Amino acid sequence: MLEIVDLVHRFSARVAVDGLSAEVGAGEIVGLVGRNGAGKTTTMRAVMGILRPSGGEVRWEGHVVGPDDWLRFGYMPEERGLYPQMPILDQISYFGRLHGLDPLAATSAGREWLGRLGLEGREEDRVVALSHGNQQRVQLAVALVHGPELLVLDEPFSGLDPTAVDALSDTLRVEAGRGTAVLFSSHQLELVERLCDRVIILEEGRMLASGTLPDLRAHLPRLLRVNVNGPSGWSATLIGASVVREDADGVLLRLDPSADPQVILQAALAAGPVEHFGFEDVGLADVYRELSSR
Amino acid sequence: MTRIPTTRLVMQREITERLQSRLFWVMTLLTALGVIAIIVIPALVRKSVQPTTVGLVGSSAQALGHALRRSAAESRVKIRTVDVASPAVARSEVRDGTLHVALTVGAHTAAAEVKDTLSPTLTALLQATVDEAHLRQTLAEAGVPRSTVRTALTPVPFATVALEPLPPNRAARSVAALAAGVLLYISLGIYGAAVANGVAQEKTSRTAEVLLAAVRPRQLLIGKVAGIGIVGLGQLAIAIVGGLIANAVVHRAEISSTVWLLLPMMLVWFLLGFALYAFACAAGGATVARQEEVQFVILPITLPLVAGFLLTYAAIASPSAWWLRVLSFVPPFTPILMPVRIALGHVSAWEIALAVLIMLASIYGVARLAARIYSGAIVRGGARLSLRAALRLQHE
Repeated sequence: MLEIVDLVHRFSARVAVDGLSAEVGAGEIVGLVGRNGAGKTTTMRAVMGILRPSGGEVRWEGHVVGPDDWLRFGYMPEERGLYPQMPILDQISYFGRLHGLDPLAATSAGREWLGRLGLEGREEDRVVALSHGNQQRVQLAVALVHGPELLVLDEPFSGLDPTAVDALSDTLRVEAGRGTAVLFSSHQLELVERLCDRVIILEEGRMLASGTLPDLRAHLPRLLRVNVNGPSGWSATLIGASVVREDADGVLLRLDPSADPQVILQAALAAGPVEHFGFEDVGLADVYRELSSR
Repeated sequence: MTRIPTTRLVMQREITERLQSRLFWVMTLLTALGVIAIIVIPALVRKSVQPTTVGLVGSSAQALGHALRRSAAESRVKIRTVDVASPAVARSEVRDGTLHVALTVGAHTAAAEVKDTLSPTLTALLQATVDEAHLRQTLAEAGVPRSTVRTALTPVPFATVALEPLPPNRAARSVAALAAGVLLYISLGIYGAAVANGVAQEKTSRTAEVLLAAVRPRQLLIGKVAGIGIVGLGQLAIAIVGGLIANAVVHRAEISSTVWLLLPMMLVWFLLGFALYAFACAAGGATVARQEEVQFVILPITLPLVAGFLLTYAAIASPSAWWLRVLSFVPPFTPILMPVRIALGHVSAWEIALAVLIMLASIYGVARLAARIYSGAIVRGGARLSLRAALRLQHE
């Protein structure tokens, strides 16, 4: 299990991460969301030991992470980095060896990943000769070649076409199924929603919220849509509910936790025949928007 | 996994990458050819020195032929004498280059006609020969007995005693010193730049970020410097073997022991100099934001190298100058100046030991400083970093 405890990181005057605590368990896929500059990349680099945090600590299996742990982690940075002129199989097996594989194991794991990612037959190609999507695949193979126990992926889906997004999602699920802890960041909230067991929302270096999607929803005011075939204005005097907007599909109400939907239904029925009465689906995007606007 | 195999892996990758590049082999060939040229060309030039042809115009001058050739032989000046009938013929032959000098001797005057200039040695030789003939004739006319004249003209044994003699084989030593200076200058320059470029490439391609997830900055730095250093050492060794073979062929009888001793020692000086410059260049390479900035960043670092190379010529011209001696202990100059001085034969063992110690201490200091700068700067995005900013970033 990965534990991030009171992590703080400052760049000269700016505080990038400000007292973040979070966990990623074995076999769990955790998504890190937040706007640019929220501290996602800094958090991931601190986990990987690429920068030394100004405060707090990163723990793995109960102890503070060290060089031996980093060898068992796999990392895909936001800005991809590969040797442009090195053949891709050599490259993947080199990174495998840096993570402690012996030469034979590194080469066979490299071949296997190239096969799984649809790059068989291109082992001798140089990185510069590959398309952007294929370079991404090689970068993923570099992160996975040594069978890591923790995967840290910074924006792994950016720039991928829908097919590649599905392939990467499947790969992450398979890895998590093996017991790998997966921490990844993304701006594509619907993807995070589909793939993650838990979500951590960062804002200005602090954790805004964390939990499963139902957990997060539970903390939000519910949205109720009511369509009454009658004069409008019936909703203006409701207690514990405010109008978000009113349109052809009726009125959208934001409910306080204390509000009783039955009381609202009665008020609506009193105004005329009720054609629609139901809670709106709240996606991660809504949760994020709601939380970050507070 | 322990630290050493990781560093070795990084090193092996550097070596493989370079041995696979065609440029490396072209450079190796060119360096070896350059060394061979330095050794062969002076030998060819020396062999091609032709004797000076002196035309003796008229009977008075022709009478001096024997004495002139004898004096020339004593002074180790190569001349050939030719009798010429008339001044007009002599003049036209001087003009067309058949003759180098036309000597005319009158009753009380003598003249050497040349196309443009006459070397001081030959001028003195001609003057002395003419003077001696004049003296001999004057004394004979005054009735001085021939035996007295002969005694008077016998040279008094004259010895020049050098209190601080130059080492023997000065010419061979100068060639060796120049070869050492050129080779070390080129090798240190090329491989220092290779380190800076390699570091900058890993930084600007963001490969460093992926590497540093598995490798500590220090391991990456040391592995890279060691890998490139070994390649440079191999290239230099190939050039040296080429030089040794050329030397054996050209100088056959006089394969100078100086050269034999100097060449293997150059590998040691290369290693010391490379370590010093490579760590500094690595730190420089880590501060750039774009690959094109590397040249600019390493310019101040490699400037002492250029100075050291230029000082090689000063050392060859005046091997015992005190200021050169002092400079050869100043670390950035030592890797070039010290072997040059050793080649010229003016260095005692304690000086070499002291220079090596100073170098080792400087390498340690520079490497530590470089590791700090490198660790902070290598994963830092954005614009090129100043030295001070890079030092503040260090995180290890």
